[in-house]
Amino acid sequence: MEIIEKIKTNKSADNLTEIQKICLHKLQSSPLPNPKSELWRLSSKSKLSNFLDYSVIENNSKFDIPYPKNTQSTIRLIIGENCQIKLIEKNYSIKQLSEDELQKYIKEQISFFNQNENWSELLNLSLSCKHNILGLKINGSKIPPIEIFSHASSNSLNAKTLVIFLEKNCNVELLQVNLGQENSSLSQSTFFCLKENSSVNHGVVSYGENRSNLLNSLNVIQQKNSSYNLGSLHFKFNYARFEINIKQTAGNAKTNIKGMQITKKDEQISTYTKIEFNGPNGFLDQINKSLADDKSHAIFEGSIIVPKIAQRTDASQLSRNLLLSNLAQIDTKPQLEIIADDVKCKHGATISQLNEEELFYMRTRGITLTEASKLQLSSFFQEIISFIPISKDKWDLLDKLLNEN
Amino acid sequence: MVNENLVKDVVKEPYKYGFVTDIETEKIAKGLNEDVIRLISQKKEEPKYLLDFRLKAFKKWQKMEEPDWAGLGYKQIDYQDIIYYSAPKQKEKISSLDEVDPKLLETFDKLGIPLTEQKKLTNVAVDAVFDSVSIATTFREELAEHGVIFCSISEAVKNHSDLIEKYLGTVVPASDNYFAALNSAVFSDGSFVYIPKGVTCPMDLSSYFRINSGDSGQFERTLIIAEEASSVSYLEGCTAPMFDTNTLHAAVVELIALDDASIKYSTVQNWYAGDEEGIGGIFNFVTKRGKCLGKRSKISWSQVETGSAITWKYPSCLLLGEESVGEFYSVALTNNLQQADTGTKMIHIGPKTKSTIVSKGISAGNSKNSYRGLVKMGTKATGSRNYSQCDSMLIGDQASANTFPYIKSQQPNSEIEHEASTCRISEDQLFYLQSRGIEFEEAVSMMVSGFCRDVFNQLPMEFAAEADKLLALKLEGSVG
Repeated sequence: MEIIEKIKTNKSADNLTEIQKICLHKLQSSPLPNPKSELWRLSSKSKLSNFLDYSVIENNSKFDIPYPKNTQSTIRLIIGENCQIKLIEKNYSIKQLSEDELQKYIKEQISFFNQNENWSELLNLSLSCKHNILGLKINGSKIPPIEIFSHASSNSLNAKTLVIFLEKNCNVELLQVNLGQENSSLSQSTFFCLKENSSVNHGVVSYGENRSNLLNSLNVIQQKNSSYNLGSLHFKFNYARFEINIKQTAGNAKTNIKGMQITKKDEQISTYTKIEFNGPNGFLDQINKSLADDKSHAIFEGSIIVPKIAQRTDASQLSRNLLLSNLAQIDTKPQLEIIADDVKCKHGATISQLNEEELFYMRTRGITLTEASKLQLSSFFQEIISFIPISKDKWDLLDKLLNEN
Repeated sequence: MVNENLVKDVVKEPYKYGFVTDIETEKIAKGLNEDVIRLISQKKEEPKYLLDFRLKAFKKWQKMEEPDWAGLGYKQIDYQDIIYYSAPKQKEKISSLDEVDPKLLETFDKLGIPLTEQKKLTNVAVDAVFDSVSIATTFREELAEHGVIFCSISEAVKNHSDLIEKYLGTVVPASDNYFAALNSAVFSDGSFVYIPKGVTCPMDLSSYFRINSGDSGQFERTLIIAEEASSVSYLEGCTAPMFDTNTLHAAVVELIALDDASIKYSTVQNWYAGDEEGIGGIFNFVTKRGKCLGKRSKISWSQVETGSAITWKYPSCLLLGEESVGEFYSVALTNNLQQADTGTKMIHIGPKTKSTIVSKGISAGNSKNSYRGLVKMGTKATGSRNYSQCDSMLIGDQASANTFPYIKSQQPNSEIEHEASTCRISEDQLFYLQSRGIEFEEAVSMMVSGFCRDVFNQLPMEFAAEADKLLALKLEGSVG
């Protein structure tokens, strides 16, 4: 693990940015996360070390965007490719954040970071060089949908960072696509700041190729009356972690999360979510689905924290899991930590296989077992996929998932 | 008028079992080392295998660290400041209850536990444990007619050594966890139950644990073995006097159910919980585990946890036998500065095993109440099912309610369902009851008892009534 050695011995080389130096400093004493902590207990150690085995590169090879036929008028950006963006139209503006703004915001975030809980972000920010950080400030309404790509090239570790400010009263659809090439590691950190009355439909689609790895962290700060909808899908990674941290800073905000992870072969994909309500009248509706086949391992841990100040919070969390093979395993741990008394909080979890009665019914109607299973799976997937913005028309995610089966 | 006064008295004295019995006791010096363990073993005239068991556990314990994952906040325990053996002085061997110190009998009478047989009102056999030793066991002869062995574990070591040697430590191994290891090293007494093949125990069995001394810990060990096609219902109650120091209680309970056997284990735990400021109270660190070894065996835990400053307790079931069943019904109530971290583990190992978990947590005052559970489907648990439900009720905006259910499945042909909810006392319902002339506090206690109904239904009758009253008492003054 070359990177870890580097972190340990780093003498603050001159070419590093201030943020990189701060993060390296935070990691230096213990460069790896604590394997006994709740967040990392189930994570495969060998897979994490495989993630860290590749050497970091700052400049990717030329990257071809999948599905180039751009039927909709979407704005497409690739993190790492010098995209100087300054779109000022009648109803909206999308501008790149200035270096000062970026620095200030990231530094403020780092000050709350803890070595173990935010290890993925600290690693990302300590590796991310200037041109792999994309910062956007979005203002206005009727903004065309935005697609943002990050990718990792073969035999290397790439760190990409995305910072987005949504100004007041702004609403936007944004799809983030993380792609991993064969034998690659991608460290992606996203920071979202939703100002008052803004709303976003955020999609995260991550898929890899043979033995690619992903550490994907998402930090969202929601101000009053903002609404954050997240649809996410992770599949085809040898090892992937999706860490979501959402804070409703003053309550009175809405959060909807629909996420799914699909594991096959000996893959391990995990989702960790932490949602904090720091004010009253917060709303959360979360569903996480996992499907584990072959010898794979899917993990979900979701915590909801409702302190005393967060009266009248309404939060629900559901974890639905399909276990399709004798050798696969699923771990799920929804958790509620509640102090406020006037709240409605509930969670549920189920683990099962495909419904046999439904399969039998379809077979009696002349549908083959394979077709019937596909039908069931598609209904399982559809609920999540239909929640991912932009992708609906041109990404054919459902096809992609079903035909992989 | 009488009633009114009664209520006032009750409010003034929230913990009515807080008295101390002034009785001459035999204690050994504070502290824990190999010599203390040898001394305990010697006092109890134990065979060598048991001494070895204790010493091995002690060695393991020394290497272990006190667990902190439950996030319970308490003062560090000084294990050298505890008396590990305390027994009321009495004649060497008691052949009948007449020889028991009348003061002791009086104590248990005050607690509502009839030891003298003429006072037996209910058909329940009792084993009464006072500090480190068992005082008396009632209904022995009647039980013996059916072949049921019900005695203190020290007696069992002397008279049924083969069973002890065969089963002790097989469900909760000495190195299981920090407190189980400590218990294995220093356990003083407890109850032993053996139900022979095909016997349905003619009466409920019960143990009553009483801590009397303020500076000695209580480390009892209970072992229940149900042979093929037998069944037993076992009740456990606990109280302690009010001291402003914390007393450690680290017990181990092991249950073994063979083919077609069923064990029902009910607890009403009402150790002293400390005062409103959180001073004093029992630290209750208990390891309870049942092994469904045989086919179609069943172990059912039901518990009402209202006492203790700190509760750390996860009664569990290892479901090994085909079609075995595990159940866990729990009500945990915390008030003032109490902390409870309780739940269960259902480990499905054999095929077609079933488990049900119903947990109700009520937190009032500044207390902290957590449900922590594990449901695991092993690779061979085909056709197994689990259903869990944990509900929390919050009273006041200073209490906290947490749920941490871990669910792990390695068997696609099994089903796990888990539900949890958090709510508070509904103002509409409260208003309705009050508008019908029901007093505020009574209305609250009615609603709480409704909230816990699923669990109370599972308790043996005498216990259910007691539990209901207990909850009402504990909540007194916490609402409003």
